[in-house]
Amino acid sequence: MTDDPTDGPTAPTDDGAASSGETDHDAERARADGGALEVADGHAQDEHAMPPTSSLKRWFVTTNHKDVGLLYIATSLSFLMLGGVLALLMRAQLWVPRAPGTGPLSAMAYNQAVSVHGLVMVFWFLSPFAFGFANYVVPLQMGAKDLAFPRLNALSYWLYLSSGVLLFVSFFQGGTFAGGWTMYAPLNLPAFTPSVGGSAAVLALMLFVASVTVSSVNFLTTMHRMRAEGLTLRRLPLFSWTILLTVWMMLFAFAALLAALLLLSADRLLGTTYFAVNGANGALLWTHLFWFFGHPEVYIVFFPALGVMAEVFQTFTGRRIVGRKWFIAAMVLVALQSFIVWMHHMFLTSINLEIKTLFMATTIGISLPFDLMVFSLIYTMVKGKIRFKTPFLFSFGGLLLFILGGITGVFLGAVVLDYEFRGTYWVVAHFHYVMVGGVTALIGGLYYWYPKMVGRMYDEFLGKVHFALYFVGFNLLYFPMFVAWETPRRVFDYDPGMTAWHQMATVGAVVLGASFLVMIYNLVTSAYRGEVADEDPWNYVTTAEWAVSSPPPLENFPGLPSYARGTLEFLGGSSSALKTVDDDAPAAADRGTGAATDGGAPATLDGSEALAASAHTAEEVQAGEDHHASHASVWPFLVGVGALLLLLGLSGFTNATWSEGAMGTAHQASTGVGAVVTFGALVGMAREQFVGPSGPYGESWPFEKVSNMKTGMWIFLVSDVVLFGAFIGAYVFLRFSSGWIAWEPIPDNVVPGLINTYLLLTSSFTVILALEAAERESRGGVVASLVATVVLGLGFLGNKAIEWEHLFTDKGIWIDSGIRESTFFVTTGLHAAHVVVGLLITLYLILRAWNGAYLDDAAPVEHFGLYWHFVDIVWLFLFPLFYIL
Amino acid sequence: MTRLKLYTAIYVVLFVSATVQVLVEQAGIAYETALAVILALSFVKAVIVAGYYQHLRWEPRSLTYLMGIGLLAVLALTVAATYSITP
Ligand code: HEM
Ligand SMILES: [Cu+2]
Repeated sequence: MTDDPTDGPTAPTDDGAASSGETDHDAERARADGGALEVADGHAQDEHAMPPTSSLKRWFVTTNHKDVGLLYIATSLSFLMLGGVLALLMRAQLWVPRAPGTGPLSAMAYNQAVSVHGLVMVFWFLSPFAFGFANYVVPLQMGAKDLAFPRLNALSYWLYLSSGVLLFVSFFQGGTFAGGWTMYAPLNLPAFTPSVGGSAAVLALMLFVASVTVSSVNFLTTMHRMRAEGLTLRRLPLFSWTILLTVWMMLFAFAALLAALLLLSADRLLGTTYFAVNGANGALLWTHLFWFFGHPEVYIVFFPALGVMAEVFQTFTGRRIVGRKWFIAAMVLVALQSFIVWMHHMFLTSINLEIKTLFMATTIGISLPFDLMVFSLIYTMVKGKIRFKTPFLFSFGGLLLFILGGITGVFLGAVVLDYEFRGTYWVVAHFHYVMVGGVTALIGGLYYWYPKMVGRMYDEFLGKVHFALYFVGFNLLYFPMFVAWETPRRVFDYDPGMTAWHQMATVGAVVLGASFLVMIYNLVTSAYRGEVADEDPWNYVTTAEWAVSSPPPLENFPGLPSYARGTLEFLGGSSSALKTVDDDAPAAADRGTGAATDGGAPATLDGSEALAASAHTAEEVQAGEDHHASHASVWPFLVGVGALLLLLGLSGFTNATWSEGAMGTAHQASTGVGAVVTFGALVGMAREQFVGPSGPYGESWPFEKVSNMKTGMWIFLVSDVVLFGAFIGAYVFLRFSSGWIAWEPIPDNVVPGLINTYLLLTSSFTVILALEAAERESRGGVVASLVATVVLGLGFLGNKAIEWEHLFTDKGIWIDSGIRESTFFVTTGLHAAHVVVGLLITLYLILRAWNGAYLDDAAPVEHFGLYWHFVDIVWLFLFPLFYIL
Repeated sequence: MTRLKLYTAIYVVLFVSATVQVLVEQAGIAYETALAVILALSFVKAVIVAGYYQHLRWEPRSLTYLMGIGLLAVLALTVAATYSITP
């Protein structure tokens, strides 16, 4: 491993404010991802040679977006099977109304099945399935060679798999979580769901959220920064648009869920009292946090399906979607509105009537843009010439189901009607029509992109058989639930008069489940026997993934993709194909007629003309081709293993004590080993030389002048803003609930807090000094400033330890003494954890700086500073809120 | 060098205003007023740190908007949730 930064071919990677802000493509070109910014490429090649797809090793080390996409799809389909088996067990139990203790499932087993079925389907199947496609297709549609941070992408996958394994294991830890997928308080506390598996399920979801956050940051950075020249957001294909909006919603919504889960874990593991029965409005707090996440989540799972519908409708009706611009505008609107409707899930809680009315209005408002999208899809069909292939059938079926689901949702959005429907099978039927309606479209997507991913065609007849069984099974399963809507939700005893409807539903469930066997048979056998697919098996397509071979080569394109002349051209490569772009240009409207821009037409213009029209220079094109990106790293997998062990171990910690006996020892060991492996793997990843994809490629709005790393850092910080904001919001909410004025700060003395404010402010200042020293190329200055930062940070933590010690022993309070104490220790504790992480990073920076790093490229110091100042800012609010007011 | 002076001046301002926050509370003015002043000071400090130490001032505006949106989201959550409490 060479640490000598001088043998690299690239300029410093930061082109942000501090250094005047130019966008220099060359400077950006060879940026590594992760922590190895200052490392040059060239030598990294041998270590990162990519094993072939036939080698098992490949799938553990790959960072390529197409491989990761396939892993996501395969894994999510496994979770579909798990969720499906649980569903069939539930339907068996519901065959006739039963008393507890009778039927195939015990009462507790039924509760677990209901809860984990919901969790698995919403989290571990639906979104990851969609993100399999997103991983595979979005970089292709954008003209990028990979995501901005390939190793982080692999990391997302491994964290996802680990979280799913942990959830599965939780069944065997004295039973898994049994309080419903919404995890309502106080049922979510050990007092009511005491099993170790219950905690494991909560921690599994937390790990899943970590995966989602990493993924959001990565996709947002990629999609904003790495688009091909000429591919403005206006021209971005619709599937990519839906993914872009999905990841934006994910970034904000999942941060709120993370806050909820951290508080819940504190309650479960440490024994704080946020959600305790006799607490101050804890149950209502949970619903607010959960549904602030939860409503955007329903669009997070639905939007990718909408994107598939749009793409498939265009391809199989042979025309551009009607009102494309408005379609996009409507989606943007819905994405924004999704954050202001959450209380329609809470009409039967103690919230006041004024706010219910307000949220009824916003809910009506959000259904309007949806109408526009639905009509645009229908009108596209009316105006086009439909080819009834399997992908189209599934997408069209999905649209029909979604319409019915949406209409029934409007009933639920009306306060008075919801008083009646809440907690019944009407809700169950509604959200299955919308969500599984989305799944239907995504399955259309699976058939649509199958030839691209596999290189062979699926069997069309079997595809249609699958659709027929699926659609009949679906409606047989869920429609009777509308009829038998008076059945209470999550309960297996119901009015015997409705037995026939429930039996119909159970038969439907079996048909629906069986239809997937047809699909799996079809997809597996076709992978070997199917007709070989060329680059564009559909003959009418509008997006770039169809311009390259099936499956595409490792680095996607035969040259540098450019849309400078409105259509896709490859600069410099050996072959150059001409394809259409899915944009607003009039030429794109009648591509189906075989005009010059007809998809699939071979190149007609020679490369030099294309290059002349492009802002790229020949040298840039050449540099892109000479760029050797890495595609393999084992560290993400190891981080996943470590995280799994860590959380598996922690699940044995309840109310601040380890479980008894040998199991307790095993849990502690697992925690320790997991922590070491996670930390070691993260350090390994930071030290590894890894060369990211070349790029950006031309379009980077609105972050043209901000490097990939810095963009990623800021996007991550936004999610941290939401996390801390939700913690502070929870504090404000609970303090209001229990009387604002009467609530005294926990520390009796403001001085330790003030001293800590001074220490933290000073440490921010020393971090600034470190950056200045790096820019003045003073090694001693960098090291000294960073050491000062560590000393100040340790002072902060030490002072806090003394203060807490005083509170614990002299004042005799503990984190569970009351809600005042809980909010104080948990909120400032989360902040302290951020300080600890910051100090670990600082130590790493010091070691590197000692060896002379950062002098020619101060970017890592700057990026760390962004984080550290943010931690400082948070304290600027925590100090007055928890010490003064 | 002048940038260093600016950073130092900012550091002094932050240091002093943290002290002022404590003094305001002990000055014996009405609770609501003190609350407003203290929180306003926190906001001002946060803006200064973000603007200068995180140098958002010299970055493209898009980053500032990004942070603004995050802040807006959690404010919406906090205000609406707190308002929803039935007295
Ligand atoms: C026209 C748009 C929609 C409206 C007006 C709407 C309205 C509602 C309302 C008011 C509820 C609460 C019912 C209750 O618990 O009493 C609800 C529940 C639900 N909706 Fe929708 N919805 C719409 C679209 C969607 C979509 C697109 C999805 C998912 C793809 C979805 C998924 C859900 C889920 C999962 C629940 C149940 C949550 C739970 O477990 O309590 N909805 N919907
Ligand atoms: Cu909702």
